[in-house]
Amino acid sequence: MIEPIMITGAGIVSAIGNNKAETLSALLHRRSGIAPLRYLQSSHMELPVGEVKLSNEQMKQMLGIDREPTTRTMLMGMLALQEALAEAGLTSAAQRPIALVSGTTVGGMDKSEQYYPSFLADDSHIDYLRTHACGATTELIASRFGLFSTVTTTSTACSSAANALILGANLIRSGRVPMAVVGGAECITKFHLNGFNSLMILDPRQCRPFDATRAGLNLGEGAAYLVLETAASASQRGAKVIGHLSGYGNACDAFHQTASSDEGEGAYLAMSKALAMAGLTPTDIDYVNAHGTGTPNNDASESRALQRLFGRQLPPISSTKGMTGHTTSASGAVEAIICLLALQHGFVPVNYGWTQPMQGGIVPAMTSEPPRPLHHALCNSFGFGGNDSSFILTKHDDDAQ
Amino acid sequence: MPNRSVFIKAATQISLQQPLSESWLSSPVYHDGESYVRSADPDFRKWLSPLEARRMGKLLKRALVTALESMRLSGIGQPDAIITGTGLGCIESTELLLNQLCSVGEEAFKPTPFMLSTHNTISSLIAIQTKCQGYNSTYSQKSVSFESALLDAFLQMQLGDISTALVTGNDELTPTYFGMLRRMGFVGQPGQAVASEASMAMMLSCEPADALCEVCSVHLPFLSPDAPPVPDEPVDAIMLGVNGIASNDLPYQRVARQHPGVPLLHYKPLFGEGYSASALGLYSAAHLLSRGVAPAFMRCDGVDADVALQRLLFVNHSDGSNQSYIVLQRVP
Amino acid sequence: MYIQNMEELVLELKEKIIEVLNLEDVRPDDIDSDAPLFGTGLGLDSIDALELIVMMERVYGIKIKDPSVGKDIFKSVNTMAEFVSKNRTK
Repeated sequence: MIEPIMITGAGIVSAIGNNKAETLSALLHRRSGIAPLRYLQSSHMELPVGEVKLSNEQMKQMLGIDREPTTRTMLMGMLALQEALAEAGLTSAAQRPIALVSGTTVGGMDKSEQYYPSFLADDSHIDYLRTHACGATTELIASRFGLFSTVTTTSTACSSAANALILGANLIRSGRVPMAVVGGAECITKFHLNGFNSLMILDPRQCRPFDATRAGLNLGEGAAYLVLETAASASQRGAKVIGHLSGYGNACDAFHQTASSDEGEGAYLAMSKALAMAGLTPTDIDYVNAHGTGTPNNDASESRALQRLFGRQLPPISSTKGMTGHTTSASGAVEAIICLLALQHGFVPVNYGWTQPMQGGIVPAMTSEPPRPLHHALCNSFGFGGNDSSFILTKHDDDAQ
Repeated sequence: MPNRSVFIKAATQISLQQPLSESWLSSPVYHDGESYVRSADPDFRKWLSPLEARRMGKLLKRALVTALESMRLSGIGQPDAIITGTGLGCIESTELLLNQLCSVGEEAFKPTPFMLSTHNTISSLIAIQTKCQGYNSTYSQKSVSFESALLDAFLQMQLGDISTALVTGNDELTPTYFGMLRRMGFVGQPGQAVASEASMAMMLSCEPADALCEVCSVHLPFLSPDAPPVPDEPVDAIMLGVNGIASNDLPYQRVARQHPGVPLLHYKPLFGEGYSASALGLYSAAHLLSRGVAPAFMRCDGVDADVALQRLLFVNHSDGSNQSYIVLQRVP
Repeated sequence: MYIQNMEELVLELKEKIIEVLNLEDVRPDDIDSDAPLFGTGLGLDSIDALELIVMMERVYGIKIKDPSVGKDIFKSVNTMAEFVSKNRTK
């Protein structure tokens, strides 16, 4: 069992809000951010997506940036990171080492796909060549704040942010750094919109995770970061603690590059590891934020893994991807913050879009009132290639020390 | 915090040197006058049937074969973790799709290259082929991608979370992307190390038996302060990622000045330059330490003599800001 | 109306399968027209099915919207040939 790690800041931008307050309001009022394509210029105007409701120009203005090169992923990342650092009170060069671990898979692809012909021809857009790689995105985000002593990028598709959280936590546990900022950022690109489309896993309608009629996912975009910190550091700084990271686990399904095994073995192992690290049993979990993409395969596989883990005693389980869309590399952190808000404010985020139980599947939560006070939340993030990660967040009890 | 020792049990490569071999120690292959050379591939059919290989481009085949060989050499077939570093992933697949997007448009996107274009496809392929269900992750941080993967494995082993780990560094370089990197000033300059590709897999373990060397420390500072971290004890040699370009070599010269009189080694003239070049550098360092000597041709300090090796500092950086410092030590 | 000799179509389909699925070292003669393509037999999987769906549209103008019907269409080269001759628009 590990010493819980404190969470002292959180920042988020997604289809349901440009910050935590807006996100909380959307969750409580059940406002989905899924809508027809508006910002991305694509021929697939028919596909519902969860776009962040800000243009690049608007984000630049909010950040006070008036130069190029910028990429949409980088801008969203900066906004979310700004909010997280502000909440944690980390706005000037700190005296202590702070790590930044950020997850992304497409990086600066929004600009690369736009300027690719010019990359081949001349130097007119060479600045955007430099912003293409995943690592470049993270460095651009890091350089704005000048705070970080170690910077790296996880890239495990849909579990990138969750794996960023795991490395950050390990950096803290090993004593290397007292603080680690962890999360992910990803904007929608034609590249992966068409990629997912070629895999035939996009739903042409609003997605319905765990529903009998589910037909695929709705792509989303966003960025979210958490500030992780040792209890000693938080106390010394007088930082306000907003939650705890109690445990986490990463396992590989080792089954197929784009499909999960029938028994959800990787998912089951990841969740089990998280529980073991936290010193908890399944009955201690009060809420599960499922990966729940809405694809026939994921929801069946994840249901099976959840049933294997919890047996008959299933806690409230919901996927919030019906509201945010699938934010891919950012999803682990986006959903971590949704869990934090749920724990802080004592409500269950409902499984928006669900109406009919699927055969052999879990029945997700559709009521906000939890059956018992929420103390521990389990959050799942499963990526292509069977990269399955889970972590447990715990409510911070202000009364206890 | 538990502080377990970490050892490199096996390490093997496919690069512009002889594949899956350490013949570069005695008969290195040089490519003077060339600016771009692709890896020398083994016959993959020895490991992969046509059906298995059908959707693996060159990079995936290399990644899988070096992984399998590393597992065979170390006798560890099911490591507790598989962690990969890659700067660009399967760039060949990414290019195919980008070309399609530009020429045909958004229709007829193909699922296979898309699946291959996500960077974690390498690590997951290795896991699928070997049925390893342990920890699996991928890092993409330009020239310190491999060191990021190594740091992850190192931390987990020191914490006692895992006891073995396969850590890999993989990058391929298409002619098109070489052209782009050259335009950015990263490679392809006259008198500079050849732009090339890298696939390297090393097996880490907490058991010292038959190990190539020990990994004593791994540091990854970003925008480091003026003085880079100096190892506690003296080292017999420092291995640098110098490649002949002034802007790249400057930070290394600063490190060298902080260790006056210490022999300096380089690996990029042998293994080329690329986002995963450091993986090959560390591979070469591990093998040099297991033999206890670095041959004179690996020196970049102008001294024509072999170096007796017990302890080595490996230094790398990515655009000057993201740096790595790794100390390796001979196993008695 | 697109008339093509069934034997020719079967051979063409085998060539397309080899090309689209990158089956180096496999020749059309090696593929039994009646043998199962998925699971056993040639051992193809769901990604191969998706690639064949893309090929169907590109070469024969047949748009398959539901990936699960692929199981029946792609059962064997003969079932593919029957489906193509009935539904092709190119």
